[in-house]
Amino acid sequence: MDAFFVSVEELFDPSLKGKAVVVGGRPHERGVVSAASYEARKFGVHSAMPLRTAYKLCPHAIFVDGHPARYRECSEQVFGVLRRFSPLVEMASIDEAYLDMTGTERLHGPPLRAAHTLHEAMKAETRLNCSIGIAASRLVAKVSSDQAKPNGILWVIPGQEAAFLAPLDVRKIPGVGKVTEKHLHSLGIRKVGDLARLDEAFLESRLGKWGLALAGKARGLDAGGWFDAEIGADTEPKSVSHEHTFGEDTNDLDRLESTLTRLCEMVGRRLREHGLHARTVQLKLRYSDFATITRAHSFESPTQVDTELSSQVRELFRRNWKSGARVRLLGVQASSFGAGEDQLPLLAEDRHERWKQALAAADRLRDRYGESAVSLAAGLKGNFRERVHENPAGLPGKHKAAGLPGKHKE
Amino acid sequence: MEFTVSKADLVRELSLSQGVVEKKTTIPILSKVLLEAGEDRVTLTATDLELGIRCACPAKVKKAGAGTIPARKLLDYVRLLPDAELNIKFLENHWASLTCGRSRTRIAGMSRESYPELPQMPEPIAEIPVQVLSSMIARTSFAISMEESRFTLNGALLLLGPEKITMVATDGHRLAFVEKAVEAGSRPFRALVPKKAMAEIVKLADESGPEGKAVLAGDDNHLFFQIGDRLLITRKLTGNFPDYERVLPKDHVHSARLNRDEVRSAIERVAQFADERSRAIRVQFTSGEVKIYSSSVETGESEESVPGEYQGPELEIGFNAQYLLDFLRAISQSDVSFELKDQKSAGELRPAGEGLTDQYRYVVMPMRI
Repeated sequence: MDAFFVSVEELFDPSLKGKAVVVGGRPHERGVVSAASYEARKFGVHSAMPLRTAYKLCPHAIFVDGHPARYRECSEQVFGVLRRFSPLVEMASIDEAYLDMTGTERLHGPPLRAAHTLHEAMKAETRLNCSIGIAASRLVAKVSSDQAKPNGILWVIPGQEAAFLAPLDVRKIPGVGKVTEKHLHSLGIRKVGDLARLDEAFLESRLGKWGLALAGKARGLDAGGWFDAEIGADTEPKSVSHEHTFGEDTNDLDRLESTLTRLCEMVGRRLREHGLHARTVQLKLRYSDFATITRAHSFESPTQVDTELSSQVRELFRRNWKSGARVRLLGVQASSFGAGEDQLPLLAEDRHERWKQALAAADRLRDRYGESAVSLAAGLKGNFRERVHENPAGLPGKHKAAGLPGKHKE
Repeated sequence: MEFTVSKADLVRELSLSQGVVEKKTTIPILSKVLLEAGEDRVTLTATDLELGIRCACPAKVKKAGAGTIPARKLLDYVRLLPDAELNIKFLENHWASLTCGRSRTRIAGMSRESYPELPQMPEPIAEIPVQVLSSMIARTSFAISMEESRFTLNGALLLLGPEKITMVATDGHRLAFVEKAVEAGSRPFRALVPKKAMAEIVKLADESGPEGKAVLAGDDNHLFFQIGDRLLITRKLTGNFPDYERVLPKDHVHSARLNRDEVRSAIERVAQFADERSRAIRVQFTSGEVKIYSSSVETGESEESVPGEYQGPELEIGFNAQYLLDFLRAISQSDVSFELKDQKSAGELRPAGEGLTDQYRYVVMPMRI
């Protein structure tokens, strides 16, 4: 989807159209840019950039708060459209998806025609622009959709992958970030073509297995990491976490504890959405001076109940917080997932069972009225805006460890 | 304050108080033992605010008074002294001076003013032989939940009546119930005893000898166990203990009778190959034998067969091996009866054979297999 968060905000406030818009928060708040309109990008603003930096680059931009519930809803509409075109849809994030179109020629026609039909259907039904990349591999499809932006369609004809990739910067290859880019530059590799010309053995000697994968990627193959997986194959998360950075460092115990409760609720909600039960819960605590500690607790039996998570996390906090020290960031992570509660409960009237029922009801309310519809009283003071980039749970596809602002491109 | 005690007496009483002294030194005074000298004895008090203990030993008191000394440090030091008389004198600055033979030591103490006041023991409710009490604790305390968030399950239910005494513990997955008929029992009384207090009661019972009695009393918030000269005070657990009577099965469809040692060692061996976290084993009941097996992707698989009487259809049920072993290790009888209904209903274990004097029932929920 093109500038997804911004486009969604424009649906709700058409006056934003054509202007420099930054989604993510107020200009002087701590936090990062979730998305920037194409007009704002002209000034160098991009996602994941600190809001204050964005303001320096583009002081006249309109800064708006993000609305995760809106994005999730639109993402689900997008999925609804995609699903009609192929049964194999994988949401890679809240605004990116892969479709396996194999065997749909008789239904949708040749690749370009199918893409145009999809492009129009998307605009008609969601009022949002998207860009479509078509290719024989997932990797090239992703890169070509990036090249097609905004609002375009690009087909890389089979056999032409290497030629298509060659003139692009190495950074365009999914998985190549700042660090690898720097490393490659130091080896004199700047374009994907430079990479493709190199010997696999050389890349492996310099970069290990990742080098081998890169060699494949440079030729347009889906090599390494999750690019190997089938489209539509659901990948289960290994951990679920949420973090919160305070707008201003705080040592207010009430605020800290309720923030932890709120984070536990968010983690618990995720666990239930994925049908996971965690054996281990971990507290992350970062002080003003960036000194960071993590402390974990293992449960007797795995759980997905908010109150059980939060009572342990708060206990960990009380035991480990340097009383009075100002806190910059709190995080809660659940891991060591069991298939479920193997052990059957003995006590039907058990608190645990009752909480499970209550939370199931709360989840239904949140599905209908949004995430903040219901909350534990202990977490009310800890309410803050969530930042959501990943695929909404419930849709097939990739589920990242939740809550961290994922890499995000429009 | 100044007094003289025998080193052996002091070590014994100090050891009994160690379990109660707070380990984490969040409140410095709670890591101290309070010593009070008066008449011809010195009284030792330790507490972590949840649990308190008061014991005493004979002393030659030169000057009555009170003071506090770090409990751990005092015990560690006194233990190393030769068996002899030990003189303890508190100085102006709350330090304690210890003299024993040729050894002299001064330990940093604190004023008694900041030491918390323990509640007074009210009228006794009942007198229970310590053996009865500690054997009931041994058969139930392992079923207490370790999960701190489930605070009503962090102890055992103690029920006293005119004709019987009952103790029940559960962690939500299994439940241990033991009931003993007693003559001339007490008026009805009901309380939740925290797990930590139960461990201390067992220690005091061991120390008091087989004929000892525990005098029980309670106020709104506390329980008092007077065992000989020693008094244990614990905060009651609050909250509603689950309705255990609903959990105890009324009827069982099928029953197996096994030799306890055979089935216990079979499970111990098989459990080596159970999943480390879930501890799941499968128990298969067939005519004339019970098969136990386990398998784990990482470690391997294991199988045992135990001969036994069983009538009923073939049944295979998953259990947490630890739960079964806890019970099998707690009983002294030669046989065990295993009663069951199906894969999803609670199974019940009971001791069988000679020497059954009280009712002991252990209910375990299966695991999904």
